[in-house]
Amino acid sequence: MNDDFYIGYRDESPSALARHTRRLVAAITAIAVGLTALVAGLQTPAEPGTFEYGVKRTFAGVLHESPLPMLHSVSPDGSVTNYLLVGSGKHGLPAFARGHDGQRVRFQGSLIQKGAGILVELNDPDSFLVLASSTAAENRPADEAIGHVVLTGELVDTKCYFGVMRPATGKVHRGCAVRCLSGGVPPGLLLRDVTGGAVVVLLSGPNGQPLQFEVGWAARIVRAEGRLTWRGTFPCLEVARLSLAHPEHE
Amino acid sequence: MSTTYRAIDWNRQKRLYDRTLGGVLLLGLGTFMGISVWVSPNITIETLLLRGSAVSALLLLHVLLCIGPLARLDARFLPLLYNRRHLGVTLFLLALLHGTFATVQFHALGDENPLVSIFTAYGRDYRVIADGRVQLSHFPFEPFGIAALVVFFLMAATSHDFWLRNLGASFWKALHLGVYLAYGSVLVHVALGALQSERGAVYPALLAVGFAVVAGVHLAAARKERRFDHAVPRAERDGFEQTCPVDAVAGNRGKVVLVGGQRVALFRHRDRIFATSNVCRHQGGPIGEGRIVDGCITCPWHGWNYQPEDGCSPPPFQEVLETYDTRIQDGRVWVRRTANRLEHRCPGSAVASS
Repeated sequence: MNDDFYIGYRDESPSALARHTRRLVAAITAIAVGLTALVAGLQTPAEPGTFEYGVKRTFAGVLHESPLPMLHSVSPDGSVTNYLLVGSGKHGLPAFARGHDGQRVRFQGSLIQKGAGILVELNDPDSFLVLASSTAAENRPADEAIGHVVLTGELVDTKCYFGVMRPATGKVHRGCAVRCLSGGVPPGLLLRDVTGGAVVVLLSGPNGQPLQFEVGWAARIVRAEGRLTWRGTFPCLEVARLSLAHPEHE
Repeated sequence: MSTTYRAIDWNRQKRLYDRTLGGVLLLGLGTFMGISVWVSPNITIETLLLRGSAVSALLLLHVLLCIGPLARLDARFLPLLYNRRHLGVTLFLLALLHGTFATVQFHALGDENPLVSIFTAYGRDYRVIADGRVQLSHFPFEPFGIAALVVFFLMAATSHDFWLRNLGASFWKALHLGVYLAYGSVLVHVALGALQSERGAVYPALLAVGFAVVAGVHLAAARKERRFDHAVPRAERDGFEQTCPVDAVAGNRGKVVLVGGQRVALFRHRDRIFATSNVCRHQGGPIGEGRIVDGCITCPWHGWNYQPEDGCSPPPFQEVLETYDTRIQDGRVWVRRTANRLEHRCPGSAVASS
């Protein structure tokens, strides 16, 4: 009589209904898994990058605090590496590393790297040591000037972009970028070409000062005008003027 | 049905339901993660979990919203409805996982309380109109996710019958209709968030199709209900209203009829016709679409039982349905327009044997 009436607290479902339910669940599963696969397959691939979270390496060199915190390091074989320095979490150069501009230091930290851009997260205050005065070879090299330029790109936080977050751009990452930039992580301007190639230009203020800007512009397309230089492996823009780009650029 | 408090009144069907749900979820999450790693090898595990939980929750929300109207259209969907609250609690847990990951990953370890940062990080972008232009694409998306999560939490937290009984059916039902508000918030959350980062037409199209499916099954169910409620009134005599032919009420089965503009459930049991309110005291299920099982009217939604003679649940349960006097004339069932007082014993009308 009740061959197709379902009562959930009974042990068995009527057989005809159970067959229908099995087919229904199979169909829902197939649709759900198919849609999941489609959504997953259409994601924009995350860019490469490395964050050696939990791994500590020792770094030594001359610390330059401004306009962008960097460690200028010369290896025994004479090769030069410039490391952009950030703190743990969403912070810039930590307090324990400040006040040592131009001094030779050694510390332990975690490597963040994308291509030629290398950052170090200073996350071990006890390992930070000020060493003897710097040698001439380790002094900051002269910036290689390129010229006055106007650039349009996405305002990013360099710590995430160079490997901590993948992906580290766009609106979904915006809250994080705001917090990082607000916390003192050096800002960068992400430039993309039509072939998908990308480069980040570090942004600093005029006269060797950090850039003063509206952190709420993080992940927005901005227009930056100023003097472009090479500082080690990093292209840097000494920004004279920064504004939100027109909507047609976004 | 239970007279004592139990967190979950486990039975075989419930275990089967939950195991199936868990299996489908794991399959979906595994598929998402596997394909994500394949197409985007550099993606981080945090992003995988964040996106996997979001996609699973969004799909589950669509399924959950469709079950109700589909069960109105076809009773064979009722097995999915029986433990629908388990889907709701699972949905909340997935949304909580997504929200927690997003908050920790994007707002924690900074110079602001992460729960404050969610609402303040975007500063001036709460202005819809800036520089004389409407700029919706920059409008913050996270508060909409939080709003949906709050609704999902309230629904999950009050999903137990304990809350249904203590909050009252009307308030409980109104609270749980908040799922539509949450669905709207989720759509805005996705449209202003993920769809602003991921370009291409497929994602917006999928979201639009999902909305169309949810809206479509609701409209179809509403149309069916509306057609029924607008049936032409029938004759009235001595306070009784003519309804369907006696033969339209099959043995041990129910039939819903309109009496005085209200839905009334007719049941035929032991060759007598009984009439009760069509609204189950549990969650408002359509009693008239139920059956007589072991001598009791049984609600099709969750199997709550009532005795056909007096509308009372069998002891020790205490729920009571209103009953109506019936009479059979000219081969049709006539039902008194006014309900009897509660627990009034009503013998029903004998059906003349042919």
